[in-house]
Amino acid sequence: MRGEILPPLTATLHVKPKGWRFGIRLWLPLFLLWLLLLPLVVLALPFLFVAAVVFGVRFWSSIRAALGLLAAFHGTKVEVENSNTRVFVKVN
Amino acid sequence: MNDNRRQILDMLAQGKLTAEEAERLIAALERGGLGATVMAESDKVKYLRVLVDTIDPMAGPTKVNVRVPMQLLRAGVRLTGVIPASAREEVNNALRKEGIPFDINNLTPQNLEELVEQLRELTVDVNNENTKVRVFCE
Repeated sequence: MRGEILPPLTATLHVKPKGWRFGIRLWLPLFLLWLLLLPLVVLALPFLFVAAVVFGVRFWSSIRAALGLLAAFHGTKVEVENSNTRVFVKVN
Repeated sequence: MNDNRRQILDMLAQGKLTAEEAERLIAALERGGLGATVMAESDKVKYLRVLVDTIDPMAGPTKVNVRVPMQLLRAGVRLTGVIPASAREEVNNALRKEGIPFDINNLTPQNLEELVEQLRELTVDVNNENTKVRVFCE
């Protein structure tokens, strides 16, 4: 259940430009972002419900599917390295 | 309900198993002796990997390493499940106009699991003078 609907809670970002001895390492608390967005989502829920009824979309299934899509980003990793910079992003 | 049990019931619903066979499999599952008949959670394909290694004469070498969870694919299929029937027909008509004889109603989680399992063996290797690309599932 947790893996199905819980969005990623943190992300890791490393950026190391050429010539820098130490790069920039950031630990991003994505859960704070979700907490900030939560009141907006709650406010938007009635409008989303009306839109779902109007367009014939199953409301709670849509919410669950959208949360599942967000939760599916767990484990995404992108690493790009060229002669100037190295960037590493991992979604936890 | 765990994934193995769900898989057995899905196969029963699709007619791939008889009721007796499903009952035997579930009983074996409960005894813990099912072996390789039903895939363990750990055997599932989890990630799609894309590795790119290219050398540009001007910009120099570039390496890209991307790991995308297959769960994203599964979640996307679930999202298509909430599309209303009228919209699905429009999508199918648009696909047919483009010459793609694909019915998105066939895009179900059960069919997707079969497709994902087949992707386990997929490997794409592209090699030329300056670029190497490798795509595989793990």
